[in-house]
Amino acid sequence: MAEVKVKVQPPDADPVEIENRIIELCHQFPHGITDQVIQNEMPHIEAQQRAVAINRLLSMGQLDLLRSNTGLLYRIKDSQNAGKMKGSDNQEKLVYQIIEDAGNKGIWSRDIRYKSNLPLTEINKILKNLESKKLIKAVKSVAASKKKVYMLYNLQPDRSVTGGAWYSDQDFESEFVEVLNQQCFKFLQTKAETARESKQNPMIQRNSSFASSHEVWKFICELGISKVELSMEDIETILNTLIYDGKVEMTIIAAKEGTVGSVDGHMKLYRAVNPVIPPTGLIRAPCGLCPVFDDCHEGGEISPSNCVYMTEWLEF
Amino acid sequence: MTQAEIKLCSLLLQEHFGEIVEKIGVHLIRTGSQPLRVIAHDTGTSLDQVKKALCVLIQHNLVIHRVHKRGVVEYEAQCSRVLRMLRYPRYIYTAKTLYSDTGELLVEELLLNGKMTMSAVVKKVADRLTETMEDGKNMDYAEVSNTFVRLADTHFVQRCPVVPATENSDPGPPPPAPTLVISEKDMYLVPKLSLIGKGKRRRSSDEDATGEPKAKRPKHTSDNKEPIPDDGIYWQANLDRFHQHFRDQAIVSAVANRMDQTSSEIVRTMLRMSEITTSSSAPFTQPLSSNEIFRSLPVGYNISKQVLDQYLTLLADDPAKTLLSDLDPRHEDLHKALGCLSTASLESVVQERFGSRCARIFRLVLQKKHLEQKQVEDFAMIPAKEAKDMLYKMLSENFISLQEIPKTPDHAPSRTFYLYTVNIPSAARMLLHRCYKSVANLIERRQFETKENKRLLEKSQRVEAIIASMQATGAEEAQLQEIEEMITAPERQQLETLKRNVNKLDACEIQVDETIFLLESYIESTLKRQ
Repeated sequence: MAEVKVKVQPPDADPVEIENRIIELCHQFPHGITDQVIQNEMPHIEAQQRAVAINRLLSMGQLDLLRSNTGLLYRIKDSQNAGKMKGSDNQEKLVYQIIEDAGNKGIWSRDIRYKSNLPLTEINKILKNLESKKLIKAVKSVAASKKKVYMLYNLQPDRSVTGGAWYSDQDFESEFVEVLNQQCFKFLQTKAETARESKQNPMIQRNSSFASSHEVWKFICELGISKVELSMEDIETILNTLIYDGKVEMTIIAAKEGTVGSVDGHMKLYRAVNPVIPPTGLIRAPCGLCPVFDDCHEGGEISPSNCVYMTEWLEF
Repeated sequence: MTQAEIKLCSLLLQEHFGEIVEKIGVHLIRTGSQPLRVIAHDTGTSLDQVKKALCVLIQHNLVIHRVHKRGVVEYEAQCSRVLRMLRYPRYIYTAKTLYSDTGELLVEELLLNGKMTMSAVVKKVADRLTETMEDGKNMDYAEVSNTFVRLADTHFVQRCPVVPATENSDPGPPPPAPTLVISEKDMYLVPKLSLIGKGKRRRSSDEDATGEPKAKRPKHTSDNKEPIPDDGIYWQANLDRFHQHFRDQAIVSAVANRMDQTSSEIVRTMLRMSEITTSSSAPFTQPLSSNEIFRSLPVGYNISKQVLDQYLTLLADDPAKTLLSDLDPRHEDLHKALGCLSTASLESVVQERFGSRCARIFRLVLQKKHLEQKQVEDFAMIPAKEAKDMLYKMLSENFISLQEIPKTPDHAPSRTFYLYTVNIPSAARMLLHRCYKSVANLIERRQFETKENKRLLEKSQRVEAIIASMQATGAEEAQLQEIEEMITAPERQQLETLKRNVNKLDACEIQVDETIFLLESYIESTLKRQ
């Protein structure tokens, strides 16, 4: 009797069946599955068949390959995304993935090149392609105006890239800052004036001339001069510039958590002050402001005897 | 001594004392301490003239002498003392505000003459005051002496060092130059004089206003021949005390600007109470308890004790200055106060020269001590391009300096941090140098203006002399008018402008001197602390 070699065909040896099983598994574990898990599920499939199935799924764009610290992870790809990438090839998918990972900070083209190891020309072509497909967009960074960072099309760029409330279209809004500056100062000044006129006890006078940053913020919001929503930190940066102008001083007091405007258990108070001394003596002389001071000496082209600035000043 | 200081000293010496003294003085300042013959040889003036010039300089406390080893006497000029001559008007004005006209004239005489005995100065001042008083009144010596005693008690005038009384059994030849000493106690001891008399009017030969009998006149003149009782005790103005006063004034006015009038009064009281007990170079005043302050407040301010305590707490808490310590007894930190004032001067110079945004950056770097370029832009809210421009401008003028912090041992520029910082003593010194040069420029301009119009000035002087003599001889109105018309209207106009310009330049010198005072005091105080 001839022995019939019967190849025991495992029940689902069909490659399509394997793929479907893998996809089901991926749906079960949306965070991704390792090779180990697939092996456990389908112990009768040989490693080679498994690898073939996985490769097919990857090339079809239905699986995502990720690396984790335990090994390789396979994750089901979002079907919508899968549709988008239908026409693209592997390189484009790689670039897209890198940009997606950068989140809302965006990534520079040179960094894309490093991560993907693709040559520059390729990268440029791919980027143009993706842009025309409206999958990514380029955002000009405010730090270096020539640098363009790429991010996904529907993401809002981060504050560090656009500069936040003070920048509109990459331009620093100096007049806006100036106007806010003056308004805050006027508010604090009027407060100090009313406090001084109340003529009470000096301690009370001083305390009532203080305004917390929260109060200033409310005042500015009510004024409505700003089209952009301003937060309390923004107002604090404006008040800091007033401190550097020497017009305002700040103290920090400990406040209970829960009082209005307190941050981390303390509150910042601001108060308008007068300058310590009037403009100093050197400024009253023309020499103090003279631009050619170092060239001036008796008997030279520029000397005190024929100084034009002095003549003008004497004629006042 | 920097070039600017030497220039300024030479201008001052020339204006006050003349060419020869200026030559000797500048030579001594430039070359340091020198013996007599070397000075004569180097400057090419005769020994006689050098001696006279040195006498003048020593009389005015501008040059001191010292016995070197081997018995050589050397003379050394004190540049800083020469620069004080710029401040004489301010000293005189201070004396006037504190002790009225008598004090003003006393200090003026002392400053102009260097050293004087008490009786001589009292007599002179009495004479001057009598001239300005109405007819028939005379200035009593006693009043003037009283003011003098008060000046000595508050240490505004002090005795000059004297030759110590040596024992008679002194073996060997006397030393080539006397060493002058004075003990701390004796410095302000007023000798017991009974100066009786009244100020005399300077009369012209025909005037006989008070109608004193002629018989009495010989007796008055004989007074001059009597030996002066306090011969040998000379007095000079104590400049350090005046400086202390100016410093106190500056602090009080700063407090008044920052807070209000009452706080400045409190600070003034505190400073006054420690006037005599603290030496002029101490960094802190004496500790005082709030009770003492309360008791010494001037009568007009009837504020209660609690209010006083509140004011003191406010002064202590002031975040900008922290003048006072919080404990009771309180004392003032003078060094910090001076630092604050000179920083304010620096800030105002930056503001006026470069603009208020530059001043903002300057104050920002001052407060934060070290900043990178990017941080400066962020904190100051100034666009990057402008901020960079301003920083570099200030850097080139040496208000701001750079601190490099390398990341790698080879200090490669792309891998180094560059931090901007303000070094206050060095910036103060730079500004001080600029002040000296400015004052020298102003003086030169003033001399130039005067020289330009010399002809006109001489003419007007001649005309005035003619008019005065004609008035004395009793000429008619018409003749006087004729002579006055010798000066035409445009010339009169020119004279007016000249007078106005010279006054303006003079006033400006004094204003720049205020800045010089602040910066010098701060630098001195910093040096002492080290």
